[in-house]
Amino acid sequence: MELEEVFSSKPRMKILKLVSKLGELNVSEFARRLGLNFTTTSRHLQVLEGEGILQQRTYGRIRMYRFNQASPKAKVVQELIEVWEEASKK
Amino acid sequence: MKRHQSVFKDESKLDINFVPNRLPHREKEHRLLMEFFSFLLKYPDRMAQRVLVTGEIGTGKTALCQRFGAEMTLEAHKRSVNLHYIHVNCREYRGKLFLILQHALTVLKPTFPQRGYGAEEVLKALLQNLDEENAYVILALDEFDSIIEAEGSDAVYNLTRMQEMRQNKPQRMSILGIMRDLESTKRLDDSARSTLQRNIIRLERYGKPQLVDILNERVTLAFEPYTVPEDVVSLTADLAQDESGNARFGIELLWRAGKYADAEDKEKVQPEDVRKSISSIIPSLSRTELDDLGLHEKLFLLGTAEVFLESGEAYVTLSEIEKIYAVACEEFDEKPVSHTQLWKYVQTLSVRGFLKTEVSGEGSRGRSTLVYLPSISAEELAKALRALLARQER
Repeated sequence: MELEEVFSSKPRMKILKLVSKLGELNVSEFARRLGLNFTTTSRHLQVLEGEGILQQRTYGRIRMYRFNQASPKAKVVQELIEVWEEASKK
Repeated sequence: MKRHQSVFKDESKLDINFVPNRLPHREKEHRLLMEFFSFLLKYPDRMAQRVLVTGEIGTGKTALCQRFGAEMTLEAHKRSVNLHYIHVNCREYRGKLFLILQHALTVLKPTFPQRGYGAEEVLKALLQNLDEENAYVILALDEFDSIIEAEGSDAVYNLTRMQEMRQNKPQRMSILGIMRDLESTKRLDDSARSTLQRNIIRLERYGKPQLVDILNERVTLAFEPYTVPEDVVSLTADLAQDESGNARFGIELLWRAGKYADAEDKEKVQPEDVRKSISSIIPSLSRTELDDLGLHEKLFLLGTAEVFLESGEAYVTLSEIEKIYAVACEEFDEKPVSHTQLWKYVQTLSVRGFLKTEVSGEGSRGRSTLVYLPSISAEELAKALRALLARQER
Protein backbone atom coordinates (compact mmCIF):
# COMPACT_ATOMS: atom_id res chain seq x y z
CA MET A 1 0.00 0.00 0.00
CA GLU A 2 1.25 3.49 -0.84
CA LEU A 3 2.39 5.74 1.99
CA GLU A 4 -0.33 8.34 1.40
CA GLU A 5 -2.96 5.63 1.43
CA VAL A 6 -1.86 4.20 4.78
CA PHE A 7 -1.75 7.55 6.52
CA SER A 8 -4.72 9.23 4.88
CA SER A 9 -7.11 7.34 7.15
CA LYS A 10 -8.17 9.16 10.31
CA PRO A 11 -9.01 5.93 12.24
CA ARG A 12 -5.59 4.45 11.38
CA MET A 13 -3.83 7.57 12.63
CA LYS A 14 -5.88 7.42 15.80
CA ILE A 15 -4.97 3.76 16.23
CA LEU A 16 -1.29 4.62 15.93
CA LYS A 17 -1.65 7.42 18.48
CA LEU A 18 -3.39 5.03 20.91
CA VAL A 19 -0.67 2.41 20.54
CA SER A 20 1.97 5.07 21.06
CA LYS A 21 0.23 6.24 24.23
CA LEU A 22 -0.89 2.93 25.75
CA GLY A 23 1.49 0.36 24.32
CA GLU A 24 -0.93 -2.44 23.59
CA LEU A 25 -4.69 -2.90 23.21
CA ASN A 26 -7.17 -5.53 22.13
CA VAL A 27 -9.50 -5.07 19.16
CA SER A 28 -12.63 -4.36 21.23
CA GLU A 29 -10.84 -1.66 23.18
CA PHE A 30 -9.62 0.02 19.97
CA ALA A 31 -13.17 -0.12 18.64
CA ARG A 32 -14.59 1.39 21.83
CA ARG A 33 -12.10 4.23 21.92
CA LEU A 34 -12.48 4.99 18.21
CA GLY A 35 -16.25 4.75 18.28
CA LEU A 36 -16.19 2.30 15.36
CA ASN A 37 -17.56 -1.21 15.03
CA PHE A 38 -15.44 -4.31 15.57
CA THR A 39 -15.17 -5.28 11.89
CA THR A 40 -14.09 -1.85 10.65
CA THR A 41 -11.55 -1.54 13.48
CA SER A 42 -10.22 -5.01 12.78
CA ARG A 43 -9.80 -4.10 9.08
CA HIS A 44 -7.76 -0.98 9.92
CA LEU A 45 -5.61 -2.98 12.32
CA GLN A 46 -5.00 -5.59 9.64
CA VAL A 47 -3.81 -2.88 7.22
CA LEU A 48 -1.31 -1.60 9.78
CA GLU A 49 -0.23 -5.15 10.55
CA GLY A 50 0.13 -5.88 6.84
CA GLU A 51 2.46 -2.90 6.50
CA GLY A 52 4.57 -4.32 9.34
CA ILE A 53 3.88 -1.34 11.59
CA LEU A 54 1.86 -3.25 14.14
CA GLN A 55 2.14 -6.81 15.33
CA GLN A 56 -0.53 -9.00 16.76
CA ARG A 57 -0.30 -11.28 19.80
CA THR A 58 -2.96 -13.76 20.68
CA TYR A 59 -3.81 -14.75 24.24
CA GLY A 60 -6.49 -17.42 23.93
CA ARG A 61 -9.45 -15.57 22.46
CA ILE A 62 -7.85 -12.17 22.89
CA ARG A 63 -5.96 -10.42 20.11
CA MET A 64 -3.76 -7.56 21.16
CA TYR A 65 -1.87 -5.15 18.89
CA ARG A 66 1.35 -3.29 19.57
CA PHE A 67 4.17 -1.70 17.55
CA ASN A 68 6.27 -4.24 15.72
CA GLN A 69 9.58 -3.59 17.42
CA ALA A 70 11.51 -5.34 14.63
CA SER A 71 10.15 -3.01 11.95
CA PRO A 72 11.98 0.21 10.96
CA LYS A 73 8.64 1.63 9.76
CA ALA A 74 7.15 1.19 13.24
CA LYS A 75 10.13 2.90 14.80
CA VAL A 76 9.81 5.94 12.54
CA VAL A 77 6.05 6.19 13.05
CA GLN A 78 6.50 5.94 16.82
CA GLU A 79 9.11 8.72 16.73
CA LEU A 80 6.95 10.92 14.50
CA ILE A 81 4.02 10.68 16.92
CA GLU A 82 6.17 11.33 19.96
CA VAL A 83 7.86 14.38 18.43
CA TRP A 84 4.51 15.68 17.16
CA GLU A 85 2.79 15.28 20.53
CA GLU A 86 5.71 16.83 22.39
CA ALA A 87 5.82 19.85 20.03
CA SER A 88 2.06 20.34 20.33
CA LYS A 89 2.36 20.65 24.11
CA LYS A 90 4.63 23.71 23.81
CA MET B 1 -5.48 31.27 68.71
CA LYS B 2 -1.93 29.98 68.93
CA ARG B 3 -1.74 26.34 68.07
CA HIS B 4 0.87 23.87 69.24
CA GLN B 5 2.86 22.05 66.64
CA SER B 6 1.50 18.63 65.77
CA VAL B 7 2.95 15.69 67.67
CA PHE B 8 3.31 13.96 64.31
CA LYS B 9 6.37 14.20 62.15
CA ASP B 10 5.02 11.92 59.42
CA GLU B 11 1.77 10.17 60.23
CA SER B 12 1.85 8.17 56.97
CA LYS B 13 4.38 5.95 58.76
CA LEU B 14 1.47 4.69 60.87
CA ASP B 15 -0.66 3.89 57.84
CA ILE B 16 -1.74 0.31 57.34
CA ASN B 17 -0.06 0.24 53.92
CA PHE B 18 3.30 1.50 55.11
CA VAL B 19 5.98 -1.18 55.07
CA PRO B 20 8.97 -0.29 57.27
CA ASN B 21 12.51 -1.11 56.20
CA ARG B 22 13.08 -3.04 59.37
CA LEU B 23 10.64 -5.48 60.90
CA PRO B 24 11.61 -5.99 64.53
CA HIS B 25 11.27 -9.59 65.76
CA ARG B 26 10.61 -11.00 62.30
CA GLU B 27 14.24 -11.21 61.19
CA LYS B 28 14.34 -15.00 61.44
CA GLU B 29 11.17 -15.49 59.38
CA HIS B 30 12.39 -12.96 56.83
CA ARG B 31 15.65 -14.86 56.40
CA LEU B 32 13.76 -18.12 56.02
CA LEU B 33 11.51 -16.62 53.36
CA MET B 34 14.53 -15.30 51.43
CA GLU B 35 16.09 -18.74 51.75
CA PHE B 36 13.00 -20.48 50.33
CA PHE B 37 13.11 -18.27 47.26
CA SER B 38 16.88 -17.88 46.88
CA PHE B 39 17.00 -20.23 43.87
CA LEU B 40 14.93 -17.64 41.96
CA LEU B 41 17.97 -15.38 41.90
CA LYS B 42 20.34 -18.04 40.60
CA TYR B 43 18.24 -20.35 38.45
CA PRO B 44 14.91 -18.56 38.02
CA ASP B 45 13.51 -20.84 35.33
CA ARG B 46 14.22 -24.19 36.96
CA MET B 47 11.61 -24.34 39.63
CA ALA B 48 8.66 -22.50 41.12
CA GLN B 49 8.16 -22.20 44.85
CA ARG B 50 5.07 -22.48 47.02
CA VAL B 51 5.19 -21.12 50.54
CA LEU B 52 2.49 -20.48 53.11
CA VAL B 53 2.83 -17.77 55.75
CA THR B 54 0.40 -18.13 58.64
CA GLY B 55 -0.29 -16.10 61.79
CA GLU B 56 -3.00 -14.29 63.70
CA ILE B 57 -4.17 -10.78 62.83
CA GLY B 58 -1.47 -8.20 63.48
CA THR B 59 1.44 -10.65 63.59
CA GLY B 60 3.09 -8.95 60.62
CA LYS B 61 2.27 -11.42 57.81
CA THR B 62 1.51 -8.79 55.18
CA ALA B 63 4.36 -6.50 56.19
CA LEU B 64 6.81 -9.41 56.20
CA CYS B 65 5.77 -10.55 52.73
CA GLN B 66 5.80 -7.04 51.27
CA ARG B 67 9.24 -6.30 52.69
CA PHE B 68 10.43 -9.65 51.34
CA GLY B 69 8.90 -8.82 47.94
CA ALA B 70 10.62 -5.43 47.77
CA GLU B 71 14.02 -6.88 48.68
CA MET B 72 13.66 -9.87 46.43
CA THR B 73 12.80 -7.80 43.35
CA LEU B 74 15.63 -5.38 44.08
CA GLU B 75 18.09 -8.26 44.37
CA ALA B 76 16.71 -9.86 41.20
CA HIS B 77 17.06 -6.66 39.19
CA LYS B 78 20.68 -6.33 40.32
CA ARG B 79 21.22 -9.75 38.74
CA SER B 80 19.23 -8.84 35.62
CA VAL B 81 16.41 -11.25 36.48
CA ASN B 82 13.09 -9.76 35.44
CA LEU B 83 11.17 -10.60 38.63
CA HIS B 84 7.86 -9.08 39.73
CA TYR B 85 6.30 -9.35 43.16
CA ILE B 86 2.54 -8.96 43.01
CA HIS B 87 0.60 -8.75 46.27
CA VAL B 88 -3.15 -9.31 46.03
CA ASN B 89 -5.66 -9.25 48.85
CA CYS B 90 -7.90 -12.11 47.71
CA ARG B 91 -10.83 -11.08 49.88
CA GLU B 92 -11.06 -7.81 47.96
CA TYR B 93 -11.79 -9.98 44.92
CA ARG B 94 -14.22 -12.20 46.87
CA GLY B 95 -11.76 -15.08 46.53
CA LYS B 96 -12.62 -15.41 42.82
CA LEU B 97 -9.57 -16.80 41.12
CA PHE B 98 -10.21 -15.27 37.71
CA LEU B 99 -10.51 -11.79 39.24
CA ILE B 100 -7.34 -12.28 41.26
CA LEU B 101 -5.38 -13.52 38.25
CA GLN B 102 -6.83 -10.77 36.13
CA HIS B 103 -5.56 -8.23 38.63
CA ALA B 104 -2.10 -9.83 38.49
CA LEU B 105 -2.16 -9.76 34.71
CA THR B 106 -3.23 -6.12 34.70
CA VAL B 107 -0.25 -5.22 36.87
CA LEU B 108 2.02 -6.68 34.20
CA LYS B 109 -0.08 -5.64 31.23
CA PRO B 110 -2.26 -2.67 32.16
CA THR B 111 -4.29 -2.65 28.93
CA PHE B 112 -5.30 -6.30 29.05
CA PRO B 113 -9.09 -6.51 28.69
CA GLN B 114 -10.85 -6.80 32.04
CA ARG B 115 -13.75 -9.13 31.53
CA GLY B 116 -15.23 -12.22 30.06
CA TYR B 117 -12.49 -14.78 30.58
CA GLY B 118 -12.25 -17.84 32.81
CA ALA B 119 -9.54 -18.39 35.41
CA GLU B 120 -7.71 -20.93 33.28
CA GLU B 121 -7.66 -18.62 30.29
CA VAL B 122 -6.34 -15.71 32.34
CA LEU B 123 -3.71 -17.94 33.92
CA LYS B 124 -2.56 -19.07 30.47
CA ALA B 125 -2.41 -15.47 29.27
CA LEU B 126 -0.43 -14.55 32.38
CA LEU B 127 2.11 -17.30 31.80
CA GLN B 128 2.30 -16.52 28.08
CA ASN B 129 3.00 -12.91 28.89
CA LEU B 130 5.73 -13.92 31.33
CA ASP B 131 7.25 -16.16 28.64
CA GLU B 132 7.24 -13.30 26.10
CA GLU B 133 8.85 -10.88 28.52
CA ASN B 134 11.17 -13.54 29.98
CA ALA B 135 9.79 -12.49 33.35
CA TYR B 136 9.03 -14.26 36.63
CA VAL B 137 6.45 -13.51 39.22
CA ILE B 138 5.97 -14.17 42.92
CA LEU B 139 2.23 -13.99 43.38
CA ALA B 140 1.47 -13.21 47.03
CA LEU B 141 -2.11 -14.20 47.77
CA ASP B 142 -3.11 -12.46 50.98
CA GLU B 143 -6.16 -13.92 52.76
CA PHE B 144 -5.59 -17.04 50.72
CA ASP B 145 -8.35 -18.84 52.63
CA SER B 146 -10.93 -16.77 50.75
CA ILE B 147 -9.87 -18.56 47.52
CA ILE B 148 -10.33 -21.92 49.20
CA GLU B 149 -13.77 -20.82 50.45
CA ALA B 150 -14.86 -19.47 47.09
CA GLU B 151 -13.23 -21.88 44.66
CA GLY B 152 -12.37 -25.10 46.49
CA SER B 153 -9.82 -27.77 45.66
CA ASP B 154 -9.65 -27.77 41.87
CA ALA B 155 -8.80 -24.11 41.55
CA VAL B 156 -6.07 -24.31 44.17
CA TYR B 157 -4.68 -27.45 42.58
CA ASN B 158 -4.64 -25.87 39.11
CA LEU B 159 -3.06 -22.72 40.42
CA THR B 160 -0.24 -24.58 42.09
CA ARG B 161 0.31 -27.28 39.47
CA MET B 162 -0.39 -25.37 36.27
CA GLN B 163 3.26 -24.89 35.48
CA GLU B 164 4.15 -28.51 35.88
CA MET B 165 1.69 -29.22 33.07
CA ARG B 166 3.63 -26.88 30.74
CA GLN B 167 6.25 -29.28 29.56
CA ASN B 168 9.73 -28.08 28.61
CA LYS B 169 8.92 -24.51 29.51
CA PRO B 170 10.53 -22.38 32.19
CA GLN B 171 8.84 -22.15 35.57
CA ARG B 172 7.48 -18.63 35.74
CA MET B 173 5.21 -18.26 38.73
CA SER B 174 5.77 -18.86 42.44
CA ILE B 175 3.00 -18.68 44.99
CA LEU B 176 3.16 -17.14 48.43
CA GLY B 177 -0.06 -17.86 50.32
CA ILE B 178 -0.86 -15.74 53.37
CA MET B 179 -3.51 -16.84 55.84
CA ARG B 180 -4.39 -16.82 59.54
CA ASP B 181 -4.19 -20.58 60.08
CA LEU B 182 -4.29 -23.86 58.19
CA GLU B 183 -7.87 -24.61 59.19
CA SER B 184 -9.33 -23.83 55.78
CA THR B 185 -6.81 -26.07 54.00
CA LYS B 186 -8.64 -29.01 55.61
CA ARG B 187 -11.34 -28.40 53.04
CA LEU B 188 -8.93 -29.21 50.22
CA ASP B 189 -8.48 -32.69 48.90
CA ASP B 190 -5.20 -34.47 49.61
CA SER B 191 -3.48 -33.64 46.34
CA ALA B 192 -4.24 -29.92 46.53
CA ARG B 193 -3.21 -29.81 50.16
CA SER B 194 0.03 -31.63 49.60
CA THR B 195 1.15 -29.20 46.89
CA LEU B 196 0.58 -26.32 49.28
CA GLN B 197 1.82 -27.40 52.63
CA ARG B 198 5.46 -28.14 51.98
CA ASN B 199 6.88 -24.88 53.23
CA ILE B 200 5.08 -23.15 56.04
CA ILE B 201 6.29 -20.16 58.00
CA ARG B 202 4.28 -19.62 61.15
CA LEU B 203 4.38 -16.19 62.77
CA GLU B 204 3.82 -16.46 66.51
CA ARG B 205 1.90 -13.80 68.42
CA TYR B 206 3.93 -10.87 69.68
CA GLY B 207 4.48 -10.56 73.43
CA LYS B 208 4.58 -7.23 75.22
CA PRO B 209 8.36 -6.62 74.94
CA GLN B 210 8.19 -7.25 71.20
CA LEU B 211 5.18 -4.95 70.82
CA VAL B 212 7.06 -2.24 72.72
CA ASP B 213 9.98 -2.55 70.25
CA ILE B 214 7.66 -2.42 67.25
CA LEU B 215 5.78 0.60 68.59
CA ASN B 216 8.99 2.40 69.52
CA GLU B 217 10.28 1.89 66.00
CA ARG B 218 7.10 3.48 64.57
CA VAL B 219 7.16 6.28 67.14
CA THR B 220 10.64 7.25 65.93
CA LEU B 221 9.44 7.32 62.33
CA ALA B 222 6.06 8.95 62.80
CA PHE B 223 6.24 11.28 65.82
CA GLU B 224 8.29 14.34 66.71
CA PRO B 225 11.02 13.57 69.24
CA TYR B 226 9.93 13.36 72.90
CA THR B 227 6.21 13.62 72.13
CA VAL B 228 5.39 10.00 73.00
CA PRO B 229 6.51 9.10 76.54
CA GLU B 230 7.57 5.59 77.48
CA ASP B 231 4.45 4.87 79.53
CA VAL B 232 2.23 5.70 76.55
CA VAL B 233 4.09 3.13 74.46
CA SER B 234 3.92 0.63 77.30
CA LEU B 235 0.17 1.13 77.78
CA THR B 236 -0.44 0.84 74.03
CA ALA B 237 1.61 -2.36 73.97
CA ASP B 238 -0.44 -3.77 76.85
CA LEU B 239 -3.68 -2.98 75.04
CA ALA B 240 -2.36 -4.49 71.80
CA GLN B 241 -1.33 -7.58 73.69
CA ASP B 242 -4.84 -7.86 75.09
CA GLU B 243 -5.99 -7.87 71.46
CA SER B 244 -4.08 -11.15 70.82
CA GLY B 245 -0.73 -9.44 70.36
CA ASN B 246 -2.04 -7.43 67.44
CA ALA B 247 0.72 -4.98 66.43
CA ARG B 248 -1.44 -3.32 63.78
CA PHE B 249 -4.04 -2.56 66.42
CA GLY B 250 -1.34 -0.95 68.58
CA ILE B 251 -0.07 1.15 65.68
CA GLU B 252 -3.59 2.37 64.88
CA LEU B 253 -4.11 3.16 68.53
CA LEU B 254 -0.97 5.28 68.59
CA TRP B 255 -2.10 7.18 65.52
CA ARG B 256 -5.51 7.88 67.03
CA ALA B 257 -3.99 8.87 70.38
CA GLY B 258 -1.78 11.33 68.48
CA LYS B 259 -4.90 12.78 66.88
CA TYR B 260 -6.56 13.23 70.29
CA ALA B 261 -3.40 14.95 71.57
CA ASP B 262 -3.31 17.27 68.54
CA ALA B 263 -7.01 18.08 68.88
CA GLU B 264 -6.34 19.35 72.40
CA ASP B 265 -3.14 21.17 71.43
CA LYS B 266 -1.04 18.99 73.70
CA GLU B 267 2.73 18.93 73.40
CA LYS B 268 2.84 15.23 74.20
CA VAL B 269 0.59 12.21 73.80
CA GLN B 270 -0.78 11.22 77.19
CA PRO B 271 -2.12 7.89 78.52
CA GLU B 272 -5.64 9.35 78.55
CA ASP B 273 -5.33 9.95 74.78
CA VAL B 274 -4.63 6.25 74.36
CA ARG B 275 -7.60 5.34 76.54
CA LYS B 276 -9.86 7.72 74.64
CA SER B 277 -8.72 6.30 71.36
CA ILE B 278 -9.35 2.73 72.43
CA SER B 279 -12.82 3.51 73.71
CA SER B 280 -13.55 5.03 70.32
CA ILE B 281 -12.62 1.72 68.63
CA ILE B 282 -13.98 -0.86 71.03
CA PRO B 283 -17.59 -0.38 72.03
CA SER B 284 -16.68 0.91 75.44
CA LEU B 285 -18.42 0.77 78.70
CA SER B 286 -21.91 -0.51 78.83
CA ARG B 287 -24.02 1.39 81.33
CA THR B 288 -25.91 -1.77 82.28
CA GLU B 289 -22.70 -3.58 83.12
CA LEU B 290 -21.60 -0.65 85.25
CA ASP B 291 -24.99 -0.51 86.91
CA ASP B 292 -24.65 -4.18 87.85
CA LEU B 293 -21.64 -3.40 90.02
CA GLY B 294 -22.05 -3.12 93.79
CA LEU B 295 -21.88 0.29 95.47
CA HIS B 296 -18.29 -0.06 96.67
CA GLU B 297 -17.16 -1.57 93.40
CA LYS B 298 -18.51 1.57 91.75
CA LEU B 299 -16.77 3.79 94.29
CA PHE B 300 -13.53 1.88 93.85
CA LEU B 301 -13.75 2.19 90.06
CA LEU B 302 -14.53 5.89 90.44
CA GLY B 303 -11.44 6.24 92.62
CA THR B 304 -9.44 4.43 89.91
CA ALA B 305 -10.72 6.72 87.16
CA GLU B 306 -10.00 9.81 89.27
CA VAL B 307 -6.42 8.69 89.96
CA PHE B 308 -5.77 8.33 86.26
CA LEU B 309 -7.37 11.68 85.53
CA GLU B 310 -5.42 13.52 88.20
CA SER B 311 -2.05 11.88 87.72
CA GLY B 312 -2.03 11.61 83.93
CA GLU B 313 -0.26 8.26 84.39
CA ALA B 314 -0.71 5.12 82.36
CA TYR B 315 -0.36 2.78 85.34
CA VAL B 316 -1.15 3.27 89.03
CA THR B 317 -0.71 1.14 92.14
CA LEU B 318 -3.50 -0.18 94.34
CA SER B 319 -2.42 2.02 97.24
CA GLU B 320 -2.72 5.13 95.04
CA ILE B 321 -6.25 4.09 94.10
CA GLU B 322 -7.08 3.29 97.71
CA LYS B 323 -6.42 6.89 98.79
CA ILE B 324 -8.72 8.38 96.17
CA TYR B 325 -11.30 5.65 96.81
CA ALA B 326 -11.39 6.87 100.44
CA VAL B 327 -12.08 10.40 99.18
CA ALA B 328 -14.88 9.09 96.96
CA CYS B 329 -16.38 7.25 99.97
CA GLU B 330 -16.31 10.47 101.94
CA GLU B 331 -18.03 12.32 99.11
CA PHE B 332 -20.83 9.77 98.96
CA ASP B 333 -20.98 9.35 102.72
CA GLU B 334 -19.86 5.71 102.82
CA LYS B 335 -17.44 3.89 105.10
CA PRO B 336 -14.49 2.50 103.06
CA VAL B 337 -14.12 -1.28 102.91
CA SER B 338 -10.92 -3.11 103.91
CA HIS B 339 -7.76 -3.38 101.82
CA THR B 340 -8.35 -7.13 101.36
CA GLN B 341 -11.82 -6.44 100.02
CA LEU B 342 -10.40 -3.86 97.60
CA TRP B 343 -7.92 -6.42 96.36
CA LYS B 344 -10.87 -8.72 95.60
CA TYR B 345 -12.54 -5.86 93.70
CA VAL B 346 -9.41 -5.52 91.55
CA GLN B 347 -9.73 -9.14 90.62
CA THR B 348 -13.46 -9.17 89.89
CA LEU B 349 -13.28 -5.89 87.96
CA SER B 350 -10.38 -7.27 86.00
CA VAL B 351 -12.36 -10.40 85.08
CA ARG B 352 -15.24 -8.19 83.94
CA GLY B 353 -12.85 -6.16 81.78
CA PHE B 354 -13.15 -2.78 83.53
CA LEU B 355 -9.51 -2.72 84.50
CA LYS B 356 -6.40 -4.80 84.01
CA THR B 357 -3.40 -5.53 86.16
CA GLU B 358 0.23 -6.02 85.43
CA VAL B 359 3.12 -6.84 87.73
CA SER B 360 5.72 -4.09 87.49
CA GLY B 361 9.37 -4.84 86.82
CA GLU B 362 11.99 -4.26 89.52
CA GLY B 363 12.11 -0.50 89.88
CA SER B 364 12.09 2.26 92.42
CA ARG B 365 8.78 0.92 93.70
CA GLY B 366 9.94 -2.72 93.79
CA ARG B 367 7.68 -5.37 92.28
CA SER B 368 4.10 -4.32 92.72
CA THR B 369 0.78 -4.77 91.01
CA LEU B 370 -0.04 -1.97 88.63
CA VAL B 371 -3.52 -1.21 87.39
CA TYR B 372 -4.47 0.19 84.00
CA LEU B 373 -7.71 0.87 82.16
CA PRO B 374 -7.97 -1.45 79.17
CA SER B 375 -10.62 0.07 76.97
CA ILE B 376 -12.17 3.02 78.71
CA SER B 377 -11.34 6.68 78.88
CA ALA B 378 -10.90 7.67 82.54
CA GLU B 379 -12.96 10.81 81.91
CA GLU B 380 -15.87 8.87 80.40
CA LEU B 381 -15.76 6.27 83.14
CA ALA B 382 -15.75 8.82 85.98
CA LYS B 383 -18.65 10.69 84.35
CA ALA B 384 -20.76 7.55 83.95
CA LEU B 385 -20.04 6.38 87.51
CA ARG B 386 -20.86 9.76 89.01
CA ALA B 387 -24.21 9.74 87.23
CA LEU B 388 -25.00 6.23 88.51
CA LEU B 389 -23.88 7.00 92.06
CA ALA B 390 -25.91 10.21 92.17
CA ARG B 391 -28.99 8.28 91.09
CA GLN B 392 -28.32 5.62 93.75
CA GLU B 393 -28.06 8.35 96.41
CA ARG B 394 -31.50 9.75 95.68
